[in-house]
Amino acid sequence: MSLYTVARDDFTNARRSFVVLGVIGVFTLMVALIVGLDSGHHPDLYRALFDVSFFLFLVFPIIIAPLAYLSITGDRSSGAITFSMGLPNSRAEYVFGKLLSRLGVALAAVLVGMAVALAIAFATYTNAPDLVRFGKFTLITLLFSFSFIGIFVGISATTANRSRAMLGVFGAYFLLVPFWFGFLPVVGLPALLNTASDLLGVTISESTTGLIRSLSPATSYLFGTEMVYSGVVDSYPMIQQNFGETPDKFYMRFWFNSLVMFVWGAGSMLVGYLSFRRSELG
Amino acid sequence: MPAIETTGLTRRFDELVAVDALDLSVAEGEVFGFLGPNGAGKSTTINILLGFLDPSEGSATVLGHDATRDSRAVRRRIGLLPEGFAPYENLTGREHVRSAIETKDADDDPDELIARVGLDAEAARREAGGYSKGMTQRLALAIALVGDPDLLILDEPSSGLDPKGAKLLRNLVREEAADGTTVFFSSHVLGQVEQVCDRVGIMNEGRMTAVDTIDNLRTRIDAESVVEADVETVPDTESIAAVEGVREVTTLPGRVRIACTTPAAKMPALRALDSAATVTDIAIEDASLEALFEEYTGDSDADAPETAAAETAAPASGGDAA
Repeated sequence: MSLYTVARDDFTNARRSFVVLGVIGVFTLMVALIVGLDSGHHPDLYRALFDVSFFLFLVFPIIIAPLAYLSITGDRSSGAITFSMGLPNSRAEYVFGKLLSRLGVALAAVLVGMAVALAIAFATYTNAPDLVRFGKFTLITLLFSFSFIGIFVGISATTANRSRAMLGVFGAYFLLVPFWFGFLPVVGLPALLNTASDLLGVTISESTTGLIRSLSPATSYLFGTEMVYSGVVDSYPMIQQNFGETPDKFYMRFWFNSLVMFVWGAGSMLVGYLSFRRSELG
Repeated sequence: MPAIETTGLTRRFDELVAVDALDLSVAEGEVFGFLGPNGAGKSTTINILLGFLDPSEGSATVLGHDATRDSRAVRRRIGLLPEGFAPYENLTGREHVRSAIETKDADDDPDELIARVGLDAEAARREAGGYSKGMTQRLALAIALVGDPDLLILDEPSSGLDPKGAKLLRNLVREEAADGTTVFFSSHVLGQVEQVCDRVGIMNEGRMTAVDTIDNLRTRIDAESVVEADVETVPDTESIAAVEGVREVTTLPGRVRIACTTPAAKMPALRALDSAATVTDIAIEDASLEALFEEYTGDSDADAPETAAAETAAPASGGDAA
């Protein structure tokens, strides 16, 4: 049970520092704040969840970055790794033990935050919260946290250098969140696709652009929340504007979006593990 | 079967040759002192034995397992005190020991091990991030002892230990050795290993410059002594240097130093000096083990006694890594 021991030690060590409390606290506070404030404007919780999803899309990877980016790099630079790796642990047990522990914290943050949000919703919203929609939203948010924890721990497994790990994590964030979604003007994947199509003299259809955009785990998270609003898309202009015209696109389907998020998380972990397995310690 | 065996073990870091064609054999049940100044290549060698680093050339086996390919099997049977051990800051000392016991599937009592290394029971329940260097080192020792290992690899175990801790360490090494455990004890200070080790290997600049038993080293030391004589005028020293057993004659204004490799050479050397100059005073000093160590690890390679069991025939220049 070495994997369990590595994960438990890492979790206990993190739990006693402020990082676990910090991540769960900040996440819960933000979600509670949005849900609480929205109750004054909208009668339905799912409308607040739309705001939560956009907020999490942008900010959640940043909240969990400090939790994950030093998971392995930190041990390597401090020398604490000789404790685990001097014992008969395999490289896989070490890496996946770390993942398990950090993932546990991120999932706990989501569950605690969503539970508090639900409690607030019951107390303050005009219409009783739809538990099925709420459950779907929680599920896809858990998947979202898996994808980014996997990416960040995977990056951490590839380097013994703290600043390089930080650079990698923020580079990944910039690439996968604002750049891929096209959040910033000019410096974005959609703008790049436009430029490319102009230069090549071809037209890229809107659904191709949508598909390419959905290949980031963050965009996939946003697109995947479509299932939360099934049947009520037209009730709010904001939701209608985002999901109204594309109900039949597969890249806005939960199965596809969850696959994208899973592949990013698991793939990054695999790459990180393969790199760590070959890397030299000490 | 030797507990540790390396064959032509070489490790390069870019241009630097950290370990240069090392052939080392440590017998089962032996207490081996692995000596050398900082940067001699000791930790690189140990990290290869643990599978943390790959050799550039050559191979290493530990307890019959290939250190690189079968590192986990090695780590199952050894106890390791790594150099500069850093604990998990927020785990208690006891939790570290307990995890080591779990990982090794051992049935040790953590409190017993903690008591054995002289770590206070109350301190063991505090977070290890607040430990002093000495306490951290004791904790590392407790972890190394988990699972009654066949081989203890102790990398600079005395660093940070006070004299009481160093004594406890020596006693522990003796107890483990009496139990049949092989101990591989690395240090940059000779005094810490000479009392417990059966044999020592002295490493310098990636090469083993001497491997011998402590007793043989002592014999060599006992033999080596320096006769220092004050003279009215410094004579021509050729006749003294020609005396059998005289290794080297050096002169200072008004003083002659005669280094002898056998005790019997002292009187003939003095007689030769007496007939060449007027001697006003003499003093005889015995070389220390420490001085020998310095000789093997210093820059003056050419001065090392011929009797040294040089373990390697590698070329002197190691900087030609392609």
